[in-house]
Amino acid sequence: MSSPFDQVIISESGGELEESELSLLETLDHVLNRGLVIAGEITISVADIDLVFLGLNVLLSSVETANDVLRRREASDASA
Amino acid sequence: MKLYAYCLTEGIDSPAESLTGINGSTVRLLNLNDFSLLVSDFAGDTVPVSRDNALAHAAVVRSVLDQTTPLPFRFGTLVTQQQLENYVTTRRDALQAKLELVRGCVEMSVKIIWDRPWTEEPPVTEPDKPGTAFLVEKRRELLGSETRAEEAKKIARWLTERLGEAVREKEFRANSTDKLLLTAAHLVERSRVEEYRSLLKNARLERPELHFLASGPWPPYSFANIDLEFKS
Amino acid sequence: MELSPETPRPAEPEIETSHVEEFVEQLRCVTDSLPSRINIDAQSVEQGLAKLVLTLIEFIRRLLEKQAVRRMEGGDLSPEQIEELGLALMKLEAKLHELKTQFGLTDEDLNLDLGPIGRLI
Repeated sequence: MSSPFDQVIISESGGELEESELSLLETLDHVLNRGLVIAGEITISVADIDLVFLGLNVLLSSVETANDVLRRREASDASA
Repeated sequence: MKLYAYCLTEGIDSPAESLTGINGSTVRLLNLNDFSLLVSDFAGDTVPVSRDNALAHAAVVRSVLDQTTPLPFRFGTLVTQQQLENYVTTRRDALQAKLELVRGCVEMSVKIIWDRPWTEEPPVTEPDKPGTAFLVEKRRELLGSETRAEEAKKIARWLTERLGEAVREKEFRANSTDKLLLTAAHLVERSRVEEYRSLLKNARLERPELHFLASGPWPPYSFANIDLEFKS
Repeated sequence: MELSPETPRPAEPEIETSHVEEFVEQLRCVTDSLPSRINIDAQSVEQGLAKLVLTLIEFIRRLLEKQAVRRMEGGDLSPEQIEELGLALMKLEAKLHELKTQFGLTDEDLNLDLGPIGRLI
């Protein structure tokens, strides 16, 4: 699968080349997928979905936690 | 003509130097309300996700760090001036609050690899029972990821304890690879960066089985989101 | 609003590790799953909806898997029942994977990268 970063030097182990690749990757990890997000006109409708999405995540998160609590209680009941 | 937005700051007079942004464009200052934004003109509808553009974005945001602590925009933020104006108006309080949080700080980053097995040995299963094998394998994976998650939490707590007051705010990120257990972002006052580094160095010595990558200082990328935030 | 002259100027970001190769390997995943062009603004409504629906289904599917594993461990299922359950879940997993591919979505898109410290968008 080709990636837009194919021009990144894929280096053999050790040495300066690999360190500069690390530097690039670390920079990319910071720059991409983080930062302020603006919801524009086109995404207003999608933003509604995103907001539901957000709420959904909180919900899913609590279901997951509740599930875990139940499981742990099951396990401790069984061993009691 | 759209604008590519790099970052938002409290009012500043001018960018420190003349900067080149993505696709070789010129970066200029746009003052909206009490905020200053760094933007470029951009012709087109999408931003190529290339190494050069990502580095240019990083360099532009970085350049402001000498004067003040900016809030970076997400890479690829392509908007009209009107959209920017709406944004800073409707989000004004949240942006002010965020700028206050990051004021005088930088982001320091820690990544931790723990190269150890998370799952037990795969058990032998009967060859003509693919459904059962599937469940047995799922069980194995689940146990492994539970262990992994618990260990990551413990390490996150330990790290937080070790760094103590030197960190104003912290963020932990989930990781999708097996070995990279934890990515932590720390908001540290500029004058406390050396203290932070020293505390981190000592902490690392306590856990020789963990492999650390420390980087920084960065602009506060991980602390720059005002809408999509949870405190877990 | 500007920094006082006594505040130290931050240096360029330094990167420090004793395990360069290992981290390079892990971080390459960052670049592997990138699109070649981005417009944060213009995500289609369809894809937004697909994301939402698939997230729900995927979540339920994973819960079902966990439940199935627990029941298998609990010992109240016969070997035939276990086999049937496993096959059904296998099909479900495959179907969902098909759907994800159809809409060009990854696990990360569905924000199901359920890492150690809660779910972060």
